[in-house]
Amino acid sequence: MAVKQSLEEISVQLKKSLVEELSLEDITPEEIKDDEILFGEDGLGLDSLDAVEIVLILQQNWGIDLTDMDMEKGREIFASLDVLVQYIYDHAQDL
Amino acid sequence: MKDVEIGTIFLEQISKKRGNALGFWFFRLFLRMGGLFAAYTLLYGVALHYWLFDGKAVKAASAYLRRRFPESSPLMIRLKCYRLFVSQGKQLVDRMAAFSGGADFNFRLLGQDNLEKLANQQKGFVLLTAHAGNWQIAMTTLAGFKKKVYLVMLPEHNAAVKASLGISGEGDFIDTIPPGGAPGDILRMIKLLKEGHIVSFMGDRAYGAVSGSVDFLGEKAQFPLGAFAVAAAAKVPVAVLLASRVGYKLYDVDLTNIITPVYEKGENKKSQLIRWSQMYADILSAFFQQKPYQCFLFYDVWKQ
Repeated sequence: MAVKQSLEEISVQLKKSLVEELSLEDITPEEIKDDEILFGEDGLGLDSLDAVEIVLILQQNWGIDLTDMDMEKGREIFASLDVLVQYIYDHAQDL
Repeated sequence: MKDVEIGTIFLEQISKKRGNALGFWFFRLFLRMGGLFAAYTLLYGVALHYWLFDGKAVKAASAYLRRRFPESSPLMIRLKCYRLFVSQGKQLVDRMAAFSGGADFNFRLLGQDNLEKLANQQKGFVLLTAHAGNWQIAMTTLAGFKKKVYLVMLPEHNAAVKASLGISGEGDFIDTIPPGGAPGDILRMIKLLKEGHIVSFMGDRAYGAVSGSVDFLGEKAQFPLGAFAVAAAAKVPVAVLLASRVGYKLYDVDLTNIITPVYEKGENKKSQLIRWSQMYADILSAFFQQKPYQCFLFYDVWKQ
C-alpha cells in the first residue's frame, strides 16, 4: 500500500506541476506561496484554460475526478493553493 | 412557451440591436400574409436602409469582406456588404418562419456517418459552430439523437438565442450554460461530456475568453481555445458544424469535419490548442471561400 503524502509533499508536487504543466513563466515552484490565490490578478492569474489543466493534473497525479463535484464546491477548492492542497490530501487515491 | 411568444421575444431581442418593433411587426405581417417571398421582398429595402445609414454595421461587415476579397476596391467592398446584409436577412427571415411554424425547410446532412458514430458513443462530443450560415436552424437536425445540446454562451445572450431556437424549458433538447470563466463552469462542461451530452461552442469569436493567434483568410486573427481544451480534458472529439443556405427553403448542414484533440507529451499545451484551432480556422476559411456571403461574424477578429 502506498504511503500517504503529507500536506507539504503535496504542496511541493502541485507547485511543480503547475509551473510545468501550465507553462508558467517568470516564476519557479519555490516562489509560489503556500496560500497563493490561483485565479484573478491578485495571485497567479490563472485563467479558464488553466482550470482545465488543473483538473487533469489532479486526475493524473492523485486520481481525483473533480468532474463529479458540484459547481459551488468546485469554485471553493480553486480559491487558493492551500485549499486545493488540503482537498488533495483529503481525497487522493492510491495510484 | 407558445410559438407566438417565442417569436415576440426573438423580435424584441433583435430590435434592441437593429431596427425597431414596428419594423419587425411588418416582417411578421408580410410573412403571415405573403409567405417567405413577401418577407424577402421587404428585406431588400430594409437591408438598403442599413447599408446606407448604419455605418457601424457596414464597418463590422467590411472587416471580413476586405480579407475575403482582398483584390476588391472599397466601392466593391461596399456593394458586397449590401449583398451580405441581404443574405443574412434572408436567413433571419427563414429562422423566424421555421420557429414560428410558418414554413418547412429541407436539410441536406453532409457527414451523417460522422454524426451517427458520435451520437452512438457513450461519451458526448464538442460541437463547434461559427457565425456562419444559419447554425440555429441546423441545430434542429440534432433533435433526433438522444443527446442534449448545451450551448455555451454569455448569460446576456441567453434570451435572444433561446428565443431564436425555440427553447422553452425542461423538455427541450437544447439548453444553455455559461462560458468557462469560473473553474466550476469548466467542471460542469467536462462532466456533461462524460455523461454523454453535447457541449456547443462558437469557435470564431473569443468574447474575452482565452484565445490564440491563427491564420484566418490571410491574416492573423484571434480565435478562442476553450472548446479544444475542454474536449481534450474530457477526451472527446470536436465536430465542426457549418450550415449554409443553398436555395429556397434548402440548407446544407455540414458535419464532415471532426478534430480529435489529444495532447502529445513534450509539447507546450497552448501550442497544441492553437494548432487545433488553426485546423478549425482552415475549415472555416475554406467554407467562406466557397460561400462568401454566409459569414455573419460582424466583428473584427483580426484587430490586434
